[in-house]
Amino acid sequence: MNVLITGAAGGLGRAFANECGRRGYNLFLTDVNEEGLTCIKQGLERRFGSVVATATCDLTEADSVDSLLSIIDKYKIRFDMLLNVAGLDFEGEFMKRDREDLVKIVLLNNAATLRITHAVIKRRKPGRPFTVVFVSSLASMFPMPLKATYAASKRFILDLAVSLRHELKREDVNVLTLCPGGMVTTQKTMQSIKAQGFWGDITTNPLECVARNTIDRALAGKSFYIPGILNRILTFCSRIIPRSWVAAVIYWRWNNTQKKWLNS
Amino acid sequence: MDTIVITGASSGIGLETALLLTQYGYNIIGIGRSEYKCKQANEWIISKNPKAKIKFYLADLLHQREVVRVAEQIIQYLNENCNGKLHAIINNAGCVRSWYMTTDEGYEHQFALNHLAGFLLTYKLLPALIKAKGRVIMTGSESHKGIKINWDNIMLYRRYNPLVAYKQSKLCNMLFAKGLNERYAAEGIHAYVVDPGLVNTDIGNKETGMLVNFIWSLRKRYGVSPAVPAKTYAFLCEQSPPPDGLYYYLCKEKKYSRQVTSQNADRLFALSERLCGIQYGKVQKL
Ligand SMILES: NC(=O)c1ccc[n+]([C@@H]2O[C@H](COP(=O)([O-])OP(=O)(O)OC[C@H]3O[C@@H](n4cnc5c(N)ncnc54)[C@H](OP(=O)(O)O)[C@@H]3O)[C@@H](O)[C@H]2O)c1
Repeated sequence: MNVLITGAAGGLGRAFANECGRRGYNLFLTDVNEEGLTCIKQGLERRFGSVVATATCDLTEADSVDSLLSIIDKYKIRFDMLLNVAGLDFEGEFMKRDREDLVKIVLLNNAATLRITHAVIKRRKPGRPFTVVFVSSLASMFPMPLKATYAASKRFILDLAVSLRHELKREDVNVLTLCPGGMVTTQKTMQSIKAQGFWGDITTNPLECVARNTIDRALAGKSFYIPGILNRILTFCSRIIPRSWVAAVIYWRWNNTQKKWLNS
Repeated sequence: MDTIVITGASSGIGLETALLLTQYGYNIIGIGRSEYKCKQANEWIISKNPKAKIKFYLADLLHQREVVRVAEQIIQYLNENCNGKLHAIINNAGCVRSWYMTTDEGYEHQFALNHLAGFLLTYKLLPALIKAKGRVIMTGSESHKGIKINWDNIMLYRRYNPLVAYKQSKLCNMLFAKGLNERYAAEGIHAYVVDPGLVNTDIGNKETGMLVNFIWSLRKRYGVSPAVPAKTYAFLCEQSPPPDGLYYYLCKEKKYSRQVTSQNADRLFALSERLCGIQYGKVQKL
């Protein structure tokens, strides 16, 4: 099984890499962080004896992706699975963000994801089933004031994935969308979860379980995965309550949390 | 001038131990991860002991490349200032986590910091320790008891339990010390584990979730001041000839878990060597 993972040097990407390594899959890892890639490659080789190739790539640059693809083609690597993890998340009021930072969210979360997905499905192993995982977010379920751009970019992924799933079904491609709530990926997210107190503890899902379950489900042909019962309930509520109410509640909650976090 | 390296010297037990050892006249190299806290610690020690010989190096010991980098920095310093000799290393930096989190290598945090960091750092500093017939001291804990190493899943990848991960990392400290003695006693190395007892520090309030935070905040009130365990480190650094025990509490030997066997130590060495990409020497019969 050959798997390509984007955003593999940190957080969820690294958790996926570990999970695949444990399963004995061969890995092709990319990220912008070269040092991080070297470390995780070394870790996987030492721990599981995995076969790992790495290449740094800025997915928002078409040229950078082209040179990544030329490496893949040079060694005639063909894939069984793509895990689209690379993504950006800034928080805060729309008008207080830097303009280009906002645009970057869409460039990476959306444009770059399209680019790499198209390219890698073209390089699937012939005659074998193929699996694509998109990492959306619980945020895609709701309009989210204070995380407006991010939530909308994740909504794009969700709708894209659902459509592609149908389009690609007869070509034996399974598409799964992962919509996680909070996960403890970095020191920073840990602090933010801490600031949310009780809510943070109960909406947080263990990263390693999310990675394991996602791959199990994707291979079993499932279409969706929302980790955590509470998150599934929240999703259900979001479907029956008017969207503008949901937005108001979320604004209230995030506003409080962010104040606490910034003052801590 | 005898030099001692102390990891996690920016707060808690490591900080008090650093102060006490400067009062005994040792030259101390502290390691911490935050520039701000290291600077504060340095000033605090100088304010208590104006003659202290103390310096801090920065390194986030969770990640192996940082361990290797700071080790090289220390070796260079020792070669230039101490004839390449190191009297002791105190592997004390430690952490508690509520969730399964990984280092840059993808290793679980508590296992990586509480055990692997010391395992790798000691290896890198071994030539300097051997030159001085030095001592290797780990900060262990009574919590190493009542548990076995989960060999098939040492990072507790499945069903992560923060407390089990912590206890296991402290058992690793015991096995590391035992294995070191079996490999390097002939070269004059002595390895020890200190049980500090319950100590009033912030360890359970850093980078943990609400539950662990809450429990630790209640528990630590019953803890002693970090100045209490500091004396045991000073005792182990000062005694000449070095004492023969393995596990110490309040300057006295203490009984340890029956899991601390040569066989388990060898197994941990083999595994940790693979995870760090290094190779310690062979076990020597004395
Ligand atoms: N407190 C107890 O009751 C108790 C009981 C038994 C054993 N222990 C052991 O005692 C040792 C010291 O703990 P403590 O209670 O003194 O806690 P502490 O006050 O939190 O001290 C831990 C030290 O390690 C440092 N550190 C943490 N993460 C690091 C990293 N990634 N890289 C480098 N340094 C890092 C900390 O730096 P910062 O200052 O930047 O946080 C601090 O200097 C630990 O090994 C612990 O397991 C404690």
